[in-house]
Amino acid sequence: MIGFLLRGVLRDKSRFLFPFSVVTIGVALVVSLVGFMEGVFMGMIDMTANLDAGHLRLVNKPFYDEEHLRPLDRSLAGQKETRVWLKKNSPEQVEWFPRIRWGAILDVPDENGETLSQTPVVGMALDLKTKNSMELKRMKMEESLVSGRLPESPNEMLMGDQLAETLGVGLGQSVTVLGQSFDGGMVADNYKIIGLVKFGVSAMDKKMVLIDISDAQNSFYMEDMITDWLGFLPPQYSLEEYEVVKKDMQEPLKRWIASPPESWAKDDHPLLLSVRDQQNIGAIADKFYVIQSFVVGIFTFLMILVLWNAGILSGIHRYGEMGLRLAFGEPHWKLILTLGIEGLMVGILGAIAGSIFGGAYTYFLQEVGFNMGDNFAQTGMMINDVVRARLTIGGFVQAVLPGIFASVAGTLVASLAIYKRSEANLFRELEAG
Amino acid sequence: MNKNLIKLKHVSKVFKVGEENFTALHDVSLEIDSGAFMSFVGPSGSGKTTLLNLIGGLDVPTTGDIYFKEEGLSSMSREQMARYRRENIGFIFQTYNLLPVYSVYENVLFPLLLNGEKEKDVQERVMDIVTKVGLESQAKKRPSQLSGGQCQRVAIARALVKDPLLILADEPTANLDSENSLQILELMRELNQQYQAAVVFSTHDEKVTRYVRREVKLEDGRIVSDKNNINGIA
Repeated sequence: MIGFLLRGVLRDKSRFLFPFSVVTIGVALVVSLVGFMEGVFMGMIDMTANLDAGHLRLVNKPFYDEEHLRPLDRSLAGQKETRVWLKKNSPEQVEWFPRIRWGAILDVPDENGETLSQTPVVGMALDLKTKNSMELKRMKMEESLVSGRLPESPNEMLMGDQLAETLGVGLGQSVTVLGQSFDGGMVADNYKIIGLVKFGVSAMDKKMVLIDISDAQNSFYMEDMITDWLGFLPPQYSLEEYEVVKKDMQEPLKRWIASPPESWAKDDHPLLLSVRDQQNIGAIADKFYVIQSFVVGIFTFLMILVLWNAGILSGIHRYGEMGLRLAFGEPHWKLILTLGIEGLMVGILGAIAGSIFGGAYTYFLQEVGFNMGDNFAQTGMMINDVVRARLTIGGFVQAVLPGIFASVAGTLVASLAIYKRSEANLFRELEAG
Repeated sequence: MNKNLIKLKHVSKVFKVGEENFTALHDVSLEIDSGAFMSFVGPSGSGKTTLLNLIGGLDVPTTGDIYFKEEGLSSMSREQMARYRRENIGFIFQTYNLLPVYSVYENVLFPLLLNGEKEKDVQERVMDIVTKVGLESQAKKRPSQLSGGQCQRVAIARALVKDPLLILADEPTANLDSENSLQILELMRELNQQYQAAVVFSTHDEKVTRYVRREVKLEDGRIVSDKNNINGIA
């Protein structure tokens, strides 16, 4: 019977094409929209995680509390011991990398060695010298290097291309880092600019310099000391799963703090943070998902509204057929059930077509993306200039389920009239054609 | 053969029209035998369609009782009434009411699917009845490709295919020319004899009255005459 009715639905373009098109367009739009929103948002999260925050971050609380000052004297001692602890107490999928966040004045000398210009810079030290390290891959260093090379020798520096342009410096030029050492003394150390990088994040390209972690430890007298340990999970892990890993590590962390290593200072107290805990990302994520649900909800509502009307039009179009089926003894509930199944099938077909169209477009946006660098030029947000969508199973689920639901709900709402239809008038109605 | 397929006992039907009550049928008592070939005749508003509605289980009487093979229809639930129609009644309409997106074959198949039959099990039966109404070569055509007379033949095949005990035909010749009307009536008479399904017409058409064996005349909701064995047919 269902096959028979579907044959009719597919043959009758006026009752198939419209609801099918509505579901197709609706699902395609939701897949694309969710993919785009997810891409922009998760792109921002990934970028923030890779460059700055990690999916998980172990940091000394005294450092974290005054992070904006880059207080290197609050760094966490016991680099080797910490690495062993992290390996032992976190899932094996998590990879941990040490980093040092530092801040300094960068002094650019002229040809006579006198100060030509000075600027405060945001510095990051990480493992830049190990070939093919995950840090280099994660930071996309090879791709980001617009000129020069990666550090190989001591005291070599990478500089954001926009910062270099502002300072008027180029490859091979020496600059002096003026900062504070771990023990509170003044640091004045020379570095040679050997590469210019462009991360596509205006906030970094304008202000950041990168040095190898061993150089930072030498310059700032930070032997066996680290400001941050960043932990990274494989790409398929979600924000929620970072939280789970974080939660699981809290107990061992408490025990570790309770019996600290000898190298720690008295007030050392490592904190384990997820990317959600940093830079207000948690609140932004919550708002993002509310907005995303709201957008999907609006689309679903609109689809139901349109499909309800399509259902009514179809009901009018098939008034004779419905009357005939009632007269022939098909119970009301069965009639409505078959209409629901028809709606379900149209919904499924529309959802498949919509997923193909929406998925293809989202894939295109994921692979090609589009450059919004001009719009982001003045923003401090850690967002890649090239905005890409992200094709996710969640995006399909958020589009397909409401699409199918809208089709069934629209049909059922429209078919409520059948419940009210009295068999007593069928002869008259059917005679009227 | 079971006499008294349908029995109406003192049946009245009152409709509420605005504030007024309109009595469509007044105290009608009637019996329809198995295999009957009869008509309800009368002017518009005489109660013919109301009577078909009640016999067909599409409506219930205000007072009185209707029995189908001794079983009272008035006590049936909506679901039971639907089953009664599905299993026992065939309908033929003035405007054919064929499903436009389906072929002749599929239109005839439709009531069997409603009865829960599987298409593969009844294909032969459907083609058999399509052949009997003379539409074998048109089986794959859609209603829009057929003449009025051919459409009514499809409707007859559709009504007969599930072997109903009773066929209710409301003005089946009203939309047909004389030649087609006569062919349809001839066909229905043949099939009535062959299938032994009782056929009840509601009609104004005098041609119909020349074919039936029994004619019940209605006026203002009352039976004014009930002639048996007319047209020289027993």
